[in-house]
Amino acid sequence: MKNKRKIIFRIIALALIIAVAACMFVIGRGHTVYFDNKELTGPDGTVYEPWYQIEVLVNGERVARLAEGDRGMVSTMGQDFKFEVKLTKQKGGKMQGGTIGVKLPYSIDGIIYNLPAMLAGAEESVYMEEFIPDPIEEETEDVVVTDEFAMPSEE
Amino acid sequence: MNNTSKNTKILSFLRSSSVPILFIIICAVCIPLSGLSANMLFNEITTRMGRNAFLILSLLIPIMAGMGLNFGMTLGAMAGEIALILVSDWQIVGIPGMVLAMILSVPFSILLGLFCGKILNMAKGREMITSYIISYFINGVYLLVVLYMMGSVIPIKHSTIKLPRGYGIRNTVSLLNMRQKLDNLIPLKLNIPGVGIVKIPVMTFIIIAILCLVIVWFRRTKLGQDMRAVGQDMEVARDAGINVERTRIISIVISTVLAGFGMIIYLQNMGNIATYSSHSQIGMFCIAALLVGGASVDKASIGNVFLGVILFHTMFIVAPKAGAAITGDSMIGEYFRVFVSYAVITIALVMYETQKRKAKSQEGAMLAAAQDEGEEEKDS
Repeated sequence: MKNKRKIIFRIIALALIIAVAACMFVIGRGHTVYFDNKELTGPDGTVYEPWYQIEVLVNGERVARLAEGDRGMVSTMGQDFKFEVKLTKQKGGKMQGGTIGVKLPYSIDGIIYNLPAMLAGAEESVYMEEFIPDPIEEETEDVVVTDEFAMPSEE
Repeated sequence: MNNTSKNTKILSFLRSSSVPILFIIICAVCIPLSGLSANMLFNEITTRMGRNAFLILSLLIPIMAGMGLNFGMTLGAMAGEIALILVSDWQIVGIPGMVLAMILSVPFSILLGLFCGKILNMAKGREMITSYIISYFINGVYLLVVLYMMGSVIPIKHSTIKLPRGYGIRNTVSLLNMRQKLDNLIPLKLNIPGVGIVKIPVMTFIIIAILCLVIVWFRRTKLGQDMRAVGQDMEVARDAGINVERTRIISIVISTVLAGFGMIIYLQNMGNIATYSSHSQIGMFCIAALLVGGASVDKASIGNVFLGVILFHTMFIVAPKAGAAITGDSMIGEYFRVFVSYAVITIALVMYETQKRKAKSQEGAMLAAAQDEGEEEKDS
């Protein structure tokens, strides 16, 4: 009886730990979000013109000030991402603002949002794309030293 | 008579506290020579206390069980590093990343601890040298996993972690998304008069305090009492019905798991993993710090941990500058601090062995005297 209770407690503890780990997997997933203020042509031929200036604020802190053609970025945690934008259409024009909430896809590390297309109400598939870093052409191999006392090679 | 006993007490205190006293003198000489400001010194010591205390605390339980200084804590450090590499590749960041790494490190640490404990049970009386060599052996296994299996057998997605050849982990893995997240979770900056603003890693200190309380509580539990009994005399403990081997293995497993957690706390503070070297020196520096705090091979307390961290790391901070001021070459200071780390361990081990032999010879002398007395009584 005592042994049975012990086993049950152990199973519950293990399940609890696995549940915590699973939670961490979801809430701790990091993403890099890129904001573009660039011209974009949609699949239907619609052209989304960039704004004169877009400021992006996350948690009240300015993370990017984008002129036409600029890209900004911020690192974030979790899938629910909220940011504030302050927009200026033309030089000397009136500033508009608003808060945007997006659901970040779990499987993508770097996500690019084209803000002019997003603000114009385009579909997600139009304004969102995955950021794929350029492959580094000629990368020098890291020299891994695992034996401090090894004889130097003759090469 | 009174004076003699007083002198003996002072002498025995000086003998038992010779290492901390030596370090206080070294620090007292080096601090003014280094020219470092009180503010910088306080900030550095506070940071290093948060970074190292958990790791050093992991050494206390095997000492309690009479297994000496657990050089095998490196095994836990390796488990922590493997967990952090995986978590970094999965892009789990911040505190959740740390928690996940801790959970993930536990099975690795338990397996390594069991392996280490079983071997140490086969080498009773030579635990320290055995655990030291085990750490070298497991380092080979770690290299096999990290250098060849990660990327080829164990999937590693990100090219920032993987070597350009397609498998193996780079020399340095960035933990920028995790850097000092625990330390800065509860931000506190104290303005100490005469020192200035000192940044306190509150959350890290809270976790260290919790571990201290757990250790104090653990000593009073049945298992803790068993460990103390095993540490005092294995044969007596066995006669009392304690499963000595099992108790010893548990103490090593606990130490390895705690070392894994400690390594994760250490690396989140650093902000990167030196994949092939982070763990290699950690055991030696932690043991040196504990010994500097006045601990010995068979006795260590929580107080020794904190005194050791303060003294050892003060020496670590000021030695290069003091070396530069004295000799004009900062490298001398660098050599000095490494030399001192090894020297402290050597002195402590020599002192322990000397005291053990002295106690043994005293015991022998007392036995001989008792026998002589018995024979004299018989003759008369």
